[in-house]
Amino acid sequence: MASDNYNIYEPLRATLEEVIEESTLIKTFVLIPDEEFVFKTGQFIELAVDGVGEAPFTPSSSPLVSDRLEVTVMKTGYVTGIMHELKPGAVMGIRGPYGRGYPVSEFRGKEVLILGGGCGLAPIRSLLFTLEHMKDELEKVILCYGSKTPADCIYKPLFTRLNSIDKFEAYRTVDVTDDDWDGPVGVATALLDQVKVNIENSVAVVCGPPIMMKFGTIRLLEMGYRDEQIYLSMEKNMSCGLGKCGHCMMGEFFVCKDGPVFTYREIKHNPEIWK
Amino acid sequence: MYYISITKEDWHRSLEKLLTSHDIFVPVKDEFSLDYEPFRLSQAENIAYNTPKPATPLKNFFLPVRENVTSVMSNGRQRIIIGAPNCDIEALKLLDEIYLDEAFTDPFYRNRRKSTLLVSSDCFSVNDHCHCTSYGVKPYTTEGADIALLSEGDYLFLRIISDKGEELIRQLSSAAGVNDPERLRFADQRHSETEALLAELNRGLPDYRATGEIVRKAGDNVWVKYASKCVSCGACTTICPTCSCFLLIDKPGFEKVKQMDACQYPGFERVAGGEDALFELPHRFRNRYMCKYVWRPQKFNSLACTGCGRCIEACLGRISKNELFMELT
Repeated sequence: MASDNYNIYEPLRATLEEVIEESTLIKTFVLIPDEEFVFKTGQFIELAVDGVGEAPFTPSSSPLVSDRLEVTVMKTGYVTGIMHELKPGAVMGIRGPYGRGYPVSEFRGKEVLILGGGCGLAPIRSLLFTLEHMKDELEKVILCYGSKTPADCIYKPLFTRLNSIDKFEAYRTVDVTDDDWDGPVGVATALLDQVKVNIENSVAVVCGPPIMMKFGTIRLLEMGYRDEQIYLSMEKNMSCGLGKCGHCMMGEFFVCKDGPVFTYREIKHNPEIWK
Repeated sequence: MYYISITKEDWHRSLEKLLTSHDIFVPVKDEFSLDYEPFRLSQAENIAYNTPKPATPLKNFFLPVRENVTSVMSNGRQRIIIGAPNCDIEALKLLDEIYLDEAFTDPFYRNRRKSTLLVSSDCFSVNDHCHCTSYGVKPYTTEGADIALLSEGDYLFLRIISDKGEELIRQLSSAAGVNDPERLRFADQRHSETEALLAELNRGLPDYRATGEIVRKAGDNVWVKYASKCVSCGACTTICPTCSCFLLIDKPGFEKVKQMDACQYPGFERVAGGEDALFELPHRFRNRYMCKYVWRPQKFNSLACTGCGRCIEACLGRISKNELFMELT
């Protein structure tokens, strides 16, 4: 990185191997990077469609795999719209990894409570792979996840698998039900009422749409979590990923470089975090 | 730091010789403005030394408005930029913190910094909106440039600040050391005169730290009031020597074009889903003040406003940040 020839703006090429439809609006792109690509769980990449644009995503695959990368993308705007039209064989651009991910070594010996919503399960899946790998060092891992409808839930097989792993528990809810759904109905935050967790020896991770991040944090605080026990994965317009372009400023922080994962304690002084 | 002296004629002849290996820019005054122009010996008499301040902020030499950042980097010719006032030299410190950051050094910025020799110019007068001293910035340079220049009659006195500056001086055969301190008394006198003018001009303006506090505490009504005259043109950020935000634009072949951008433009913080924390104009307007006086000072060691006053001169709505501060003080 210190080399004089290293260009921070130059993307690495990656070939699209497979496109997995997770829901009507969400697809997972399986990429084979031209070079080994190493990242830490919770860090993000800038994924580019050639000549169109790039957008920030946290890989949803395991950080233990470096020759294959999975990125789960919700069709939201211009770039993701075109991304969703890509077919296997397409060449994409990757810059990164950027930012500060989850400090998983600090989770050792603890219970990890994860609250996720919608496409927020993408970074969480990567975190879950990491936590599974280190499960002998953890007390417990609990996932509470909500999607709008049963059909909007991504990685459905993941829940069955998680519930079969020792020390892991996974719960699902939906905002709006359909005929085939016999599980809980309501916001993801409501699932927190049914989990048994030793808050004193626990950390909480929240990742999802802004509204869920806000009310999830409020609920966790009510449950007795301290500010520094709550990890939030913030989303802003991260254009460069390098702490320079200024688009992702959140108070004094560049979310791309100082985050995207922050403890609530680090950012709570800024009234603009939920905007 | 020490001084050498050289006649203006010899200095300009020496610059002429250096043109074979360097691009040289000097501050030239015409009837409308003062700005950098490429040095030409035939135009030497129009160079305005020690006069605040070139219309173009110094940052433009290091951060072009638009550049392809995936193109092959050329080593580029060596450059000498003459005439930057200390407010602009001071502003480079923040740009260095951002662009020379160890984790992600911008190679284009770094190469331009490396290949540029800076000859700053002490200010012997003030413009209407100059207020560097409010932010602890002197109207003359003692660090951050390679050489500082003072004009006195037919002579130029050059204050040698860096090794790079000393190297250049070695190439000036007719430069002579200044051993008699009496010959430099004018420098101290000029500095104090300019500082006195600035003190008089800016009586009542808060200093930088106090500015941050009053900006942080300011109520919405102030932002709404001043933003009512703002048209989001971005002139203030374009002309600001420390504003350095940009947008990366993708071009076919995975090329990236880096284009200067600003929080004053609509959509700056908009995300794909449509949320935009700076959608309302008063929020955008306030953002620039919060950035310069509250957030950047929390995060960086360098000043994010050096009191050059260009934003006041450039504003289409005639918004004066100094008036805003006075109202809040």
